[in-house]
Amino acid sequence: MRSYFKLVNFELGRFMKIYLVLIGITIISQIAGVIVKSRGYLSEANQAIIVNSMPKEQFLEQFGQMSMGTFTQSIWFMGPIALCIAALIFYCFFIWYRDWFGKNTFIYRLLMLPTARLHVFLAKVTTIFLLVIGLVSIQLILLPIESMILKFIVPIDLRADLGIMEIISNSRYLFVLVPDSFIQFIINYGIGFMVVFIIFTAILFERSFRLKGILLGIVYSVLSIIVFIFPLLLEIFFGVNYLYPTELFVTEVILAIIVICAAIWTSNYLINKKVTV
Amino acid sequence: MIEVKDLTKRFGRKKVLNGVSFTAEKGQITCIIGINGVGKTTILNGIMNLTPMNSGLILIDGKKVSKESYEKITFIPDAITMLPQMTIREAMQFMQDFYNSWNEERANELLGFFKLKQEERISNLSKGNTAKVNLLLGLALDVDYLLMDEPFSGIDIFSREQIADVFTSHLVEDRGVIITTHEINDIEHLIDKVVLLDNGVVLKEFNAEEMRASEGKSVIDVMREVYKG
Repeated sequence: MRSYFKLVNFELGRFMKIYLVLIGITIISQIAGVIVKSRGYLSEANQAIIVNSMPKEQFLEQFGQMSMGTFTQSIWFMGPIALCIAALIFYCFFIWYRDWFGKNTFIYRLLMLPTARLHVFLAKVTTIFLLVIGLVSIQLILLPIESMILKFIVPIDLRADLGIMEIISNSRYLFVLVPDSFIQFIINYGIGFMVVFIIFTAILFERSFRLKGILLGIVYSVLSIIVFIFPLLLEIFFGVNYLYPTELFVTEVILAIIVICAAIWTSNYLINKKVTV
Repeated sequence: MIEVKDLTKRFGRKKVLNGVSFTAEKGQITCIIGINGVGKTTILNGIMNLTPMNSGLILIDGKKVSKESYEKITFIPDAITMLPQMTIREAMQFMQDFYNSWNEERANELLGFFKLKQEERISNLSKGNTAKVNLLLGLALDVDYLLMDEPFSGIDIFSREQIADVFTSHLVEDRGVIITTHEINDIEHLIDKVVLLDNGVVLKEFNAEEMRASEGKSVIDVMREVYKG
């Protein structure tokens, strides 16, 4: 178990530089964005109200109040989030392939460690999990700071103040990242990590059987997804809908656990018996 | 003792190993000789469970390879197996973190022996020095068996001499070594046992010293006989 934690620490260290750059971009873009957007709104208001003598009420009617809700729709806010998501999706693959390719084939060392090889697999899954949770946490810390900056720049009569949960539930995308209930959290992140398990297992299929492995990996992934969405498929194709929402939720949790257990079992087999350097 | 029994390995339709069997004893240097592409590296990968075999059995002191085996046997491939951005110190720290058999004292001794600087980054090292670090990371483990894949290939004459010196020192003594090569000249005087490989089969397995004493033939003489005639 100690080796597992050491491996997690090691894997995190390998991505840390890029990760810190991603965090840096997010902070700079969002903080700069809230300043630019707030000042832009304010100058529009000044232009309209002071220069063009438009009544404030008419301006608010026409342009609406400035709020974090408006800001979170902007590229300044969504851009870095999209970049982080893209980087992490890419890293889901690169976290494996970087060990095989390049001049120094580190996979030899990883596979020759005197620890269960499954630890290598689980350490990589955990690393992705921690990286995602880390970025979401940074976002949660940034939101109140950005809200404060907006309040500082835009006068109270021109802005609509939103609480953190209101900001999140107002944004379609943020709502997926930061659900408002524990159940929703389990659903969103459970599906996310089930997909990571499936991708990792598919990669191990490819690393074990190469060209043939790509096909096996695709078949395996499709089968896993079919198992997970089986109740949905029953409903769509056969109109079978016996389950209440709570029962459906429990069924889906059980199916997700089955898919994840199957992924771990398959990966354990592949990494011990089939994988090749 | 390392026992390799009837190994077969296919890559697609190509049969690379076709029933390879041999043994390597502790305290001896066993050399697997064969031209490029004959399956030497595949055998070492097979022993370390780095690539699955189609059939056959590999035993290390009577046991199949498991995670515990990696504290008893180590493999030094022909390319270094550490991240290029690591310094030598960081690579040594990595080994110390994961291996109980890591011998820091011996690692430092090897650093001095090879005249390497701990703070140097692996990616900045010359080919010869990279090979020495690779060797250091394997030799500093207190393991019973060492597998080395072409340790002399592509490096300068002085580095070769330094590496050859390691074989006659206490750093290798008492351990079982399997070394692969296609150039026998550098190490002919060092090896105890020879396994000649061709077309995926063992053509001949013999003790170098006994061959010299009984038939008056050097390893190269036997190779000539087997491969050419």
